[in-house]
Amino acid sequence: MPTLTIDGQTIEAAKGTTLLEAAQQLGIYIPRYCYHPNLSVSGNCRMCLVEVEKAPKLVTACSTEAAQGMAVLTASNKVKAARRDVLEFLLINHPLDCPICDQAGECGLQNYYMEYSLAKSRFNAADKVRRPKRRAVGPYLALDNERCILCTRCVRFCSEVTKTSELEVMERSDHSYIGLKEGTALDNGYSLNIADNCPVGAFTSRDFRFKQRVWFLKKTPTVCLGCATGCLIEAQHNENVIYRLTPRPNAETNTWLCDYGRMTYKAVRAGDRLTKGVIKNGQIDLKPALREAAARMDEARRSAAVLGSPWLSVEDNAALARFAKDALRTENYCFDFNCGQGIKDGILINNDPAPNTSGVKPVKAACGGITLTELSRRIAAGRIKAVLMEARAAALIKDALKAAGPRLIVFAANTGEIPAGAYAALPYASYFETPGTFVNYQGLLRRTKPPVEAPEGVKPLWAVVNELASCSGTSLGLDSVEETLKGIYIK
Amino acid sequence: MGFKLTEEFKAKAEKICTQYPRRDAALIPLLLELQKETSYIAEEGMDYSRVKAVTTFYTMFNREPAGKYHLQVCRNISCHMAGAPGLLERLRKKLAIAEGETTKDGLFTLSCVECLGACGLAPVIQVNDKYFENLTAEKVDALLENLRHEL
Amino acid sequence: MENILLKDNVAGIEAYVACGGYKPLKKALGLKPAEVIEEVKKSNLRGRGGAGFPAGLKWSFIPKDSRGSRYLVCNADEGEPGTFKDRELMLKNPHALIEGMAIAGYAIGAGRGYIYIRGEFAAEAQLLEKALAAARSKNFIGKNILNSGFDFELSTHRGAGAYICGEETALLQSLEGYTGRPRLKPPFPAVKGLFGCPTVINNVETLAAVPAIIEKGGDWYASIGNGKSAGTKLFCVSGPVNKPGVYELPLGVTFRELLEKSCGGMKPGKKLKAVIPGGSSTPVLTAEEAWAVKLDYESLAASGSMLGSGAVIVIDESQCMVKLLEVLARFYHHESCGQCTPCREGCGWIEKILNRLEEGKGSAEDIDTLYSVADAMKDRTICPLADALALPVMSFVKKFRSEFSAHAAGKTCAGSQRIEVRE
Repeated sequence: MPTLTIDGQTIEAAKGTTLLEAAQQLGIYIPRYCYHPNLSVSGNCRMCLVEVEKAPKLVTACSTEAAQGMAVLTASNKVKAARRDVLEFLLINHPLDCPICDQAGECGLQNYYMEYSLAKSRFNAADKVRRPKRRAVGPYLALDNERCILCTRCVRFCSEVTKTSELEVMERSDHSYIGLKEGTALDNGYSLNIADNCPVGAFTSRDFRFKQRVWFLKKTPTVCLGCATGCLIEAQHNENVIYRLTPRPNAETNTWLCDYGRMTYKAVRAGDRLTKGVIKNGQIDLKPALREAAARMDEARRSAAVLGSPWLSVEDNAALARFAKDALRTENYCFDFNCGQGIKDGILINNDPAPNTSGVKPVKAACGGITLTELSRRIAAGRIKAVLMEARAAALIKDALKAAGPRLIVFAANTGEIPAGAYAALPYASYFETPGTFVNYQGLLRRTKPPVEAPEGVKPLWAVVNELASCSGTSLGLDSVEETLKGIYIK
Repeated sequence: MGFKLTEEFKAKAEKICTQYPRRDAALIPLLLELQKETSYIAEEGMDYSRVKAVTTFYTMFNREPAGKYHLQVCRNISCHMAGAPGLLERLRKKLAIAEGETTKDGLFTLSCVECLGACGLAPVIQVNDKYFENLTAEKVDALLENLRHEL
Repeated sequence: MENILLKDNVAGIEAYVACGGYKPLKKALGLKPAEVIEEVKKSNLRGRGGAGFPAGLKWSFIPKDSRGSRYLVCNADEGEPGTFKDRELMLKNPHALIEGMAIAGYAIGAGRGYIYIRGEFAAEAQLLEKALAAARSKNFIGKNILNSGFDFELSTHRGAGAYICGEETALLQSLEGYTGRPRLKPPFPAVKGLFGCPTVINNVETLAAVPAIIEKGGDWYASIGNGKSAGTKLFCVSGPVNKPGVYELPLGVTFRELLEKSCGGMKPGKKLKAVIPGGSSTPVLTAEEAWAVKLDYESLAASGSMLGSGAVIVIDESQCMVKLLEVLARFYHHESCGQCTPCREGCGWIEKILNRLEEGKGSAEDIDTLYSVADAMKDRTICPLADALALPVMSFVKKFRSEFSAHAAGKTCAGSQRIEVRE
């Protein structure tokens, strides 16, 4: 463990620690562009140059390993001059389009210029090298080569993380530009990470660009429910509208976030968002819809069934279980889900497309119920007249449903989820609008934190279940989200 | 576009690949070999971004079809002092083309290149693979005539 | 003294063998690899490509306990403007290089070697391949060389036009089939080089000197030259001298001797103005500085320049220093790999300022900017290409400022007129 000093502070660094990392441990920030903690070190931007006593030249903090007895200076005049110079070099061929650049507010060039330079340009603006201007590259990204500082984070991301190697530095010298083979798209399932990684406005998200200036955005830490991986994310929103999801890097689950997961917020304000009840394909107010659904369930009573859902939170599954046991008093309920979980692409995407297969297990443990096979058998045998469930869970018993055709009463956030032929559909609040507990494929507890409010009249699923029960004259006593978890033991 | 590798090229390529523990190390020699047949490296023939990166990084790869004779005039310091600017001007006028262009008959492409490593015999031009050194106005005129008549 | 490297009539293998060629290889194979390295260390042979790093020391950096492949690479990517010695050496004495490589390969335990030759040298590569075939047919390379149990396979690899590939790590990238962008060091090639294996990279001239060192001993070689600058060096002289060309002379020879004795002096009517003594990347010397200087590593360093590749570019009074610097800036701008910010952006910036000055549209402020941009590039990049422009810029501006000022004041000079080709 080498001991060294950085700006006079002593630190004992683990072997292999770079100066940049060691400084970070001391709370000393060294500016950088090409360095990214999760990509290989390329050392090309030269922004992180620091002075090491007795070394003949400044060294890059990102690539230099801490060594015994080093005395490092990160704010000496030499270092400051180098930073100013690098910034000047980066800016000479950079376009003057900040007012219309979507990166403004989170731009590494703007920020560092304010912090480390503030110099007047000595470069003749007419001499700027022109590079390809904005164009779409793939479904999610726009690329503006003129704004690029060639840090190559994007190139390294595609070669090291997705291993798809679509991006390369073409040409050389100041004609260099990031490009891909003509006629190909950048669509590797993780492409939006490139926009996150890009320290300037070269790669921007086509989904996000021009929707909102970043300084207006509020950030809420929450969880991605795109699959069983359960990535930690941040929802960025303003005035009750979510604008984008970004990863919250963590050691357990994710550094990045897949494109699919990033788009999950769109369902919240999608055109097919369900805010009313649906009876036989016609939308009606929630109250009468609830009464109608309750009546149909009552009618079936003991031959009614309830199916939980790996897409729902523990709370909402627990509420459904209470409904089956205490309101319907049926034995036909099932909270039995299994899926061979695991990362299927070597990066983040899980074999299990549902976020809470593991989280339903404690509900089953507490409330019992029959297996999915048994429920399917009973449905297929015509013994079940009505099924209450979450819309996407219908897929789990689709053969049985096709065979028998019981009445389906489903909870759905979006009409697109409602299975064909459903008798009734009831709206509920998405987990961007209400807290929910999930357990990811690693068994880690994940709680969503709602960044926005549900549309008027749309309630959490457990609360809708509570109302459904009271329509049939049963009080489940689910007055709060905490109440739903009573008797449920989550590891 | 119907870009296809010839069988002859494929056989040569196999042989070249054996020189390296990793086949992809043969990329540059293979592209040079390919260019011998096609006079340039066409983007539609590229399977990977890396091939484009390589062909745009190295100056010897032509991105467009080149003339039968690719006249490459060295313009670096020693050749400059020995008259490269005048040599270039003479070629421009004689061929009625600018640098980077090819004559209409497809015979000549004119390019400027950097130091060819033959500074002792400056000025130098390279025609395809061959060096012509110690050039004078007279020699350059004769060279063009000779190339024309080799048709 | 007799030439060690540049010899006539030894290009063919029969002639080379008849002159005692490949005996040193046989001798080396009878020694332990460490003994071969020791001999080369003793000779004080230093890298002839430009950096002047001691060759024996470089060889000894190969980790002794490394498993798997090791490589020996010959840097024949001769591209430094003004340099044309390796080409001549490979044409005249290819077997000295091949033999040197076989010996070096044995010393460092490499079973495979590549000669990375610049792409433009197509004819030279072909001739080398022929020489390799001849050497293979006599078992000087290949399997079980001269029954020693040592295998060493060797082939040429052509580049495709990139000055930067003369930098050893860019060369390795290129040899692996990538764009030639230099790697970060450490790790150094001796530890992690070609295909991730321990690798030694030496210049053609360095490797070609090895057989003579093995034959006559390190002490003999060390006794030639000027102290720490041991041995002979190939000097490439270009510019308006009577006999430009490649001359093999002991290190420490004076510039005056090289110019007057070897090259027959300046061409009639031409007066010496300046000399770039070690290839275009090295700081320029004024005529006065040049006349006095000895051409070796230490003496040139003391004069504020470098021995570099031994490319002596002679500049006469008729030349415009602003124009010549513009020519160099255009070159480095064209050749920067584009990886490091200061080099990528700085080379072009410098060229643009020089374009303005050259056209008579510059200002006095431009001269200061020129100098400070060069200063901002210097010592701040992964490889020395930025320095290779920065140092000439700083030395040109310092030593010939009046010419730059005249340009800034809108005066043109005779030298910036178009230079006509000889009729």
